[in-house]
Amino acid sequence: MDFEIRHKTSRPPVHLRSLLFALALVLSALSVAGCSKEQGPQGEKTVVVYVSEDQVFSQPVLKEFEKRTGIRVRAVYDTEETKSTGVMNRLLAEKDNPQADVYWANEPIRAQVLKQEGVAESYVSENARGIPPLFKDPDGYWTGFSARARVLIVNKGVKEEPRSIFDLASSRWKGRAVIANPLFGTTTAHIAALFTVLGDEKARAFMESMKENQVAISTSNGESADFVASGRYDFSLVDSDDAVNRIRQGRPVRMVYPDQGKGELGCFIVPNVVVLIKGCPHPKAARKLIDYLLSKEVERQLAFADCAQIPLHKGVEMPRGMKPLEDIRIMKVDYAKVATKMLEIQPFLREWAGLK
Amino acid sequence: MTARIFLWAAALVIFVAGLLPLFFMVGASLFSNGNLNLAPYHELFHSGRQLLLLKNSLALSALVAVIATTLGVCLAILLGKCNLPSRSVLIFAFTIPFLVPPYIFALAWNEALTPGGILSLLVPEPWLEGLQAGLFTIWGAALVMSTVYLPVVMLLVMAFLHTVKPGVEEAARLCTPWHGVLTRVTLPLVLPGIAFCFLLVFVLTLGEYSVPSYLRYPVYPVEAFTQFSAMYDFKAATAASLPIGAVALIVLLVEIVLLYKKGTGLEVQPHAQGFLTIDLGRFAWPFAIILWGICVVVVLLPILALFYRAMTPGILEDVLEIGARPLVRSLVFAIIGGSILTVTGFLAAYLIKNRAIWSWWLVDMSSFLLFAIPGAVLAIGLIQLWNTRWTGSIYGTMWMVIIGYVARYYFVATRIMLVQLGAISKSMEEAAQLAGAGWIQRVAYILVPLSRKGLLAAWLCSFLFCLRDIDITMLVYPPGADTLPVRIFTVMANGRPEVVAGLCMLMVASVTLPATFLWRHFTSSKKVMP
Repeated sequence: MDFEIRHKTSRPPVHLRSLLFALALVLSALSVAGCSKEQGPQGEKTVVVYVSEDQVFSQPVLKEFEKRTGIRVRAVYDTEETKSTGVMNRLLAEKDNPQADVYWANEPIRAQVLKQEGVAESYVSENARGIPPLFKDPDGYWTGFSARARVLIVNKGVKEEPRSIFDLASSRWKGRAVIANPLFGTTTAHIAALFTVLGDEKARAFMESMKENQVAISTSNGESADFVASGRYDFSLVDSDDAVNRIRQGRPVRMVYPDQGKGELGCFIVPNVVVLIKGCPHPKAARKLIDYLLSKEVERQLAFADCAQIPLHKGVEMPRGMKPLEDIRIMKVDYAKVATKMLEIQPFLREWAGLK
Repeated sequence: MTARIFLWAAALVIFVAGLLPLFFMVGASLFSNGNLNLAPYHELFHSGRQLLLLKNSLALSALVAVIATTLGVCLAILLGKCNLPSRSVLIFAFTIPFLVPPYIFALAWNEALTPGGILSLLVPEPWLEGLQAGLFTIWGAALVMSTVYLPVVMLLVMAFLHTVKPGVEEAARLCTPWHGVLTRVTLPLVLPGIAFCFLLVFVLTLGEYSVPSYLRYPVYPVEAFTQFSAMYDFKAATAASLPIGAVALIVLLVEIVLLYKKGTGLEVQPHAQGFLTIDLGRFAWPFAIILWGICVVVVLLPILALFYRAMTPGILEDVLEIGARPLVRSLVFAIIGGSILTVTGFLAAYLIKNRAIWSWWLVDMSSFLLFAIPGAVLAIGLIQLWNTRWTGSIYGTMWMVIIGYVARYYFVATRIMLVQLGAISKSMEEAAQLAGAGWIQRVAYILVPLSRKGLLAAWLCSFLFCLRDIDITMLVYPPGADTLPVRIFTVMANGRPEVVAGLCMLMVASVTLPATFLWRHFTSSKKVMP
């Protein structure tokens, strides 16, 4: 053994060369990482934005902002579709030492939660003037822009199409409809909105009749849209971008704005919202980004994108076949109340979805 | 003294990177406005749903562990010990599901079974509907997760098989045919390694969120996740994660009682002598055909479904534009994470094996606990602990991701090294010590050379775990510096399906090449014994 050790110390063995190689590999990786590390200037030439809008739609907007202003955008993306725990939990966890400047949410409820948790800061942008008051926080903690509508996606094979969300509870469609898990995303918001508009008793009764009518539950609005497109179900309640996306893919579906008759409930509108983060590191750049996101140009860009979002400013150019906001009968809700109701009905929704 | 400094440093890594954030989360879940508040736990233990979740979690984990271990051991013997035709290609093929985040493979299966998907060319639609419905059950979840974790067992058992002394098998071969050698000598020798693989898969399945969630099978991680994403309730989410931690600790205790006392039973030669390869003779091709059949059904079919979807003009440019930078970051993070984990895993295994410091059991238990609990709980703990003015130079950089990886996958590297170091006779180190060699010399000239393959296996496994991670990365990656699994995850939402499929293929291609290169190092044999 003694000989072995001396023998090995006299000449670097193969394994040591491997170790040196591995060390070199790690050092190169470190240097690459050091080069790629996001070390942008910490002044106002950088803005950090957390985004819940789908990356495929939001990234081009942020790139355009970078191009126009020279301000570098460092983004953290998330998605409601796959229900990641990403940015919203990150914002709440970072509350005492914020890292983000701006939060671009794809619906107002999360923004309302941030307001309640003291994460948001009030900012009223000049560009928010043309946006209807319904889609803005009265205290300026969040401002809406480019909206989605909650619509019915219907398979083209269905002869007489459903016209109301209450058709989900109609015996005519028993076992033929599907909705996304009501514990997540815009479906939760929509149900909470129904609770605020119909009252607890009626809304609960509607939910129970949906259950009795064997409405299926999918993991997401996108999956619901795919189920309808494949003919597995006749119709579903989804976001308008899910429906438009499938129509543009040439799938055999059509989109119906629900409850558009006189005296009917109207269509639930879900705007994107932008929030300034309280105590953010780059407040000036953050305000510039918020101003940009609330501009008509961005609304036009998002209207022509595959998400086909509805501009909230009047007179913004839109693709053919897309309904402007003023042509849609809107369900009038107070988003702050919807946010409060959403948290309140969680136990009921968990029970309804069979999770309790 | 030198040894103690190194070993304490390894122990401190897991305490600071993992245990501290976890304590922070558990502590926060117990108090509200400075007062003790057990409401989240009260609700947890008074909900009838907990029993169902516990039953489902244990059933799924046990099913996956049994399937993956059984099949994995068979594959390891056939591919790592026999002269099977095209075995390198088969190893490559069977490893693919493990290289990508598990949810991608669930998605691929659904894509394959969707009417209009690739299987509709072969299977009548009513059958297809039945098969797709079956995917959304415990059996579907078990199929997907077994396929994903099968390579873990296969690769590790292959590495363990190669640690068996050829002399022992040669001696046994004199009086019994190969199947006798395998059942009476080889497999009993690597049994601790196999048991480790079983436990590893069990715990991996227990903590897995994405596949059960996608396939709508209710288990504990899904419950914890619901608390996070539906209610933003960190306290309830932490409470919902604790049963997983409790089960993990019970599993660990079982392992300590059953395996540690018996010793690992493995011994490694001071000089590499290679390993014996079984000549299958006329059975080689039939076995190869059977394995190819299994491989086509469980691995290549879903991958082909993705490939089928991705095959559109101009897709390569789109995929590279979206995925190239995240891929580079993924590789860099994983290389650094894998390297740190290998070093700390080696030291931690040494201190656990020799019980070198009093807190060896704490290192062991905490690494196992951190591996089992949902990544989101650990990540939120990391944010709350590290996001301060004083640690600002670390928070918001890639080092947060690395710290998360080290905390989460410390267990993987440590356990691989523990099995490897357990196979080295202590007398060698003692003899060197008597000859005057210091601790660093003993490590450098005895332990490291003898555990070379274990180190490579530890690095490779750690690298792959880091590379495919999404739970931790999603919550702590620096703004503007996402990884490829995160990018795929976010682009999946309303992204073009062919781009998503293309990104998955990019990831598969990018990681299988180095993995195959490294694996060839393991599979090189020096002796063939008929």
